[in-house]
This record gives sequence, structure tokens and C-alpha cells, in this order.
Amino acid sequence: MKNKFNTVAFSNLIGSVVFLLIGIVSWIMSTRFQTVKGNYVQPADFPQIMIIGLVFFAAILFIISLLKLINMKDDDPEAAPAPVLNPVKDKGMQASLIVIVICIAYVALFSLLGYVIVSALACLIIMFLIGKRNWKVMISVSILVPLGMWLLFYTLLKVNIPLGPLAFLRDIVDMIF
Amino acid sequence: MDFGLLFSSYLEVFLNPQVLLMTLVGALGGVLLGAIPGMTATMGVALLVPFSFGMDLIPAIGLLLGIYCGGMYGGSISAILIHTPGTPSAAATTIDGYPMTRNGQAGLALSVAMFSSFCGGIIGALIMTFLSPVIAKAAMSFGPGEMFMLAIFGLSVIISISGKSVIKGMISAFFGMLICTVGLDPTNGVARFISYSQTSLLEGFAFIPALIGMFAVAEVIGGVEKIVRGEEKQLTSNARIDRVLPDMKTIKKIWPNILSGAVIGTFIGAIPGAGGDIAVFVSYGANKSASRHPELWGTGIPNGVASTESANNGCSGGAMIPLLSLGVPGDAVTAVLLGAFIMKGIQPGPMMYVSNLPIVYRVFAALMVANLAMLVVGCAGVRFFTRIVSVEKTMLYPVIMVISLLGAYAINKNVFDVGVCIGFGIFGWIMNKYEFPLSPILLTLILGPMCEKNYARFMNIHKGEIMEIFNSPIAMTFLGVAILVIIYSLWNQRKITKTLTLDSSLKSAS
Repeated sequence: MKNKFNTVAFSNLIGSVVFLLIGIVSWIMSTRFQTVKGNYVQPADFPQIMIIGLVFFAAILFIISLLKLINMKDDDPEAAPAPVLNPVKDKGMQASLIVIVICIAYVALFSLLGYVIVSALACLIIMFLIGKRNWKVMISVSILVPLGMWLLFYTLLKVNIPLGPLAFLRDIVDMIF
Repeated sequence: MDFGLLFSSYLEVFLNPQVLLMTLVGALGGVLLGAIPGMTATMGVALLVPFSFGMDLIPAIGLLLGIYCGGMYGGSISAILIHTPGTPSAAATTIDGYPMTRNGQAGLALSVAMFSSFCGGIIGALIMTFLSPVIAKAAMSFGPGEMFMLAIFGLSVIISISGKSVIKGMISAFFGMLICTVGLDPTNGVARFISYSQTSLLEGFAFIPALIGMFAVAEVIGGVEKIVRGEEKQLTSNARIDRVLPDMKTIKKIWPNILSGAVIGTFIGAIPGAGGDIAVFVSYGANKSASRHPELWGTGIPNGVASTESANNGCSGGAMIPLLSLGVPGDAVTAVLLGAFIMKGIQPGPMMYVSNLPIVYRVFAALMVANLAMLVVGCAGVRFFTRIVSVEKTMLYPVIMVISLLGAYAINKNVFDVGVCIGFGIFGWIMNKYEFPLSPILLTLILGPMCEKNYARFMNIHKGEIMEIFNSPIAMTFLGVAILVIIYSLWNQRKITKTLTLDSSLKSAS
């Protein structure tokens, strides 16, 4: 018998525990909601119905996964290996975490550096990360796509997007159009 | 009905070059806008209203309807090609559209989407032409109880879109409903799960950034992971697209889905407050339940695409029914159209059928032209659109990322929404990884607020007596159909699970 801790059944068990915890924490939070006198539906009513549903199905998943782990056969679909979440063991996982960090940095720097610069940097880093090495194409795509999108939104859709140090582009475009 | 006047009005519109040109321009703009994640048909119509100021009424309405219909189809392009619905109405198209792209059938998926959108739009327009006063009367008898049951009926589709595991689908759905309750309570204004100082979340999580995050950002993170691991293959579309429209064999296979989708779309579109985003899921669930092979739905079949795309374009006709018959806009786009009518000195409503009947008929005709224009633009563009999937993934993923994040920002011009988009992207990636389906969350994000708001309104009107809902025949019809759909979907799901288990046993035996 293969390692049970590396199966879909075990990952389902962990998933069910996570949702059970979310349900419990949400329930505790919902008991602190303000009540409104003379109202037939209180602010906590609807979320609590949803929490009951969430906890009910998470509990079913927990029980089914536990039973599967106890009586697991090799040909069970739940005996298949679970997706890896450990970045030390898996390069793909490392790359995903780097993309997540890039995304977080993207939000943090969006207002400061503006859409075009921050998008060009994100584009370039992601391309490099996934193995693109043609620098001419990488640089042109990274600059032209965000610039083109900004131009489209600014001129046609009249949506003003932060430009950071490149704010002068607006004056140039205003002069031309 | 004055058929002579109807015919002459249609002829007048179809032979007016200005109307044809403006509608074509509108459809082109709509398709392009709809294909950009985060840009909706509503935004497109709102943006172009000022341009229609100087035009006559019918060309102006043609321009706006062109954007409306084009935007509905445009949303499916990105849903099919890059797994990111361009508009909320295209959300259900990803379920079968994207697997078709992964199977090398992007061209077929797009042509089915285009053809179904066109047929749905035309059927919707025909229903609108002949039945608008009757449907409008029925739609206006919808109170909070009926709307609540409509939402429940929509939610009954969850089992159908849960994929392999109903339990995981239900967990996703309840979690989605719980997410909807974050922010101010819609009836009392009480903060839930947040403090009043968290102003960005007072209205809850913005829907479109969440949608873009769960599909586009999650797809990029997952795609990068697969590329680095060497699992991602370069996608290609059908090597050569000989025809831009589906062949007769495909049409024969999908026409029942188109027909039922269009009728469902028109009816739901006619209900004020319900639109294409709800209709597509209801149509998908109903068509899957009625299918002889429900196990194939979600694996990439044209029927799935046809059922959703005909429904969302059928909505365009449906939404015009309360607008013209009662002067009540059915959705955000028709609200803008109402403004355009008033701007031209025409007040839609029951009297419009008495005092301005030729205009009513010309509007019907303009909707037909708009659907034709969408077909022309779609046919011209299908070869170009399919090339997108052949672009190297190492370039496509970063480009999807920066365009999607811009869409998330543009909707409210708020950096917080970009953060929401990324947060939902990470969440969606983890959910995908562990096979918790995302479609139920999407459905509940659409229906959750409608469900809660109408439940609270109903309970307050009827002083907490929920049993009062049994006095409404419409509500009971929805409840009955919802129960039937749930039972039938569970039975179907059992059949699917049996087939899958048998397949996996055969594979392991061989």
C-alpha cells in the first residue's frame, strides 16, 4: 500500500478540515453581529444558514475521506497521488509562488509606479521565469502590450489609469488627439 | 398586431444604410470590448451614449443594440480561448468552451458560440416582437417571493456544474454564498465580517474582479506551474478553418440546446433584475439535465457552448420587453437605453404601443439588425480570434495577466479591486489544484445577493411567515422545477460517477 498521506483522500480530508475551521470561525464572528429590533430577518440569519450548509457538507467530506483512508484500495480514484504543495520538492510550485509574490508586489507598486511600468516588469519577469529567452521579443511585448492597453483605455474608453513617473504620456497623448 | 406596419417598419430599418453602418460599428466595438476581461456590454453602451446624441433615434438605438449584442458574444471569445469570461454572461461558457480549446477545437467552439448567439438573439427578438405585452404582464407579477424562488431555481443548477464531486460542489457553493455576505447587510446596513472602517469592503467583494481573479489569474498561476514542470503543451486550434459557421451535422446536434437556451434566456431576461448571468447557468443546467449523455458535459462539447450562448443573447430580446411594454428597464443596459429613448423625447411604456407603434416595430427590427451585424463581425473575426491560442504560452500568460489586472482596476478605478482579483486568483488556483469546482462559487456570487435581499424583503413584508410563499403559484412553480432539477441532477450525477468508476477500473485492469 502506497503512502496514504500523499493521496487525494488525504488532501480531501485536509480540505474538509480547512472548511470546517472556516465555518466555525465564521459562526463565532456571526454571533457578534449587531441585531436590529423589529426586523424579521436579522443580519446574522442568512450567513448562519450558509455556515450550517458549509459545515454540514465539509463534515460529510471529512467522514467520507476518513473512511476512504481507512479502507483504501489501490484502484480507488481517491488513492491517486495528491497535487504537490511543497515548494522545496517541486519546481512548478516554486514558480507559482514566485508569480504570487509578483502579483502581490504588483498591487503594492501599482499606484506608485503606474500601470505601464509595473505591468512591463511583471510581464518580463514572468516570461523569464517560464523559460522565454528572446530578449528582443520579451522587451517589446512587455512594453508595447501595457502601453497599448493604457492608450486604448485612456483615449477610447476614457478610463484614467495611474501612470506614476510616466504621467507625462497623458500630456503627449492629449496634444496628439 | 398590425402585420403591414410591422413589415414596412422592418423594411425601412433594413434598407437604411445609416442604421446598418451604425449597428455594424456598434457590434464591432461590442465584440472587442466584450472580449476584454472586465469590460462589459453595459460599460460599452454607457460609453457610447454621448456619441449617439446627434443621431436620429433608430440609428442611435441600432448603435447601442449593436454594442449590447456584440458584447454578449465578445465575452465568449476570451471564455473559450483563455478560460476568462470577458463578461459575467459568458461565465458558464468556460465550462465547455475552454475544454474544447484544449482539445484543439477552438475554431469550432467559437463558431458554435457565434451561431448560437445569433440564433438566440433572433429567437429572443422574435419572441419580443410577438409576445412582449403578454410576457411583460407576467414578469411584472414578480415580487420578492417569486424573485427568491427564481434565485433558488438558479441555485438548483449547482449539482449539474459541480463536476466529479457533488459534495465538493456544495462546499464551494456554500462558501461562495458566505463570501457574498461579507460587507453591509442589504436590509439593515449592519457590517458583517468587517468593521465599518473597512470602506473598500462595505459593499462586499466586487464581482467582476473576483471573476477575473478566479479564472484568469488562477489560470496564469496554474499555467506557469505546469510549464515549468513540463506538463503544459502548446495549444493549437483546428489546423485550418474551412468554414466560419458550424456544419449541418453540428447544427443538427445543437439546435435543441439553442432553442431551449433562447427561450430560457428571453424569459429570464424579461424579469427585471435578472439577466444573462443567471440565464446562462439555468440554461446550462436545464440542457445538461435533459441530455442523454450528461457525463460528456464539461468535457468540451458544442452543446454546452450552444446552451449558454443562445441564452445570453436571448436575454437581449427579453430585456427589451419590460423596457418597451412597461418603461421598466430589465437590466443595466436597458436602463441606459431608456435614457437614450427619453433623450429623444420618447417615453417607453404601455402608451408607446398606442402612440408610437411604428417606433416600437423599428426597435424590434434594429435588434434583428444588431444580431445580424454581430454575426457578420463574428464571421469576419473567427479566424483571427482562433490564432490567439496558437500564441506561445510563455508570452500569452503574462499578457493575459496584465490585461486582466487592468480590467479589474478599470471597473471601479480602485487598486483594492486589483488586490481582490489577485486574492481570488490565489484562492482559485488552490481550489483548482484540489479539484473544488469554481463554477458553483461563481453562480453563488451572482445569485447570493439576489437570494438574500429578496428573502429578507419577503420575510419583512409577510411578518416572518415564510409559509406565505406557498400562496404564490409562480414561486411554487419555480420551487417545483428546482426540486425536479435537483433530483434529476443527482440521478444524472450517479450515472456519471458509475461511468467514471467503470472507466477507471477498465484502465487499471488493462
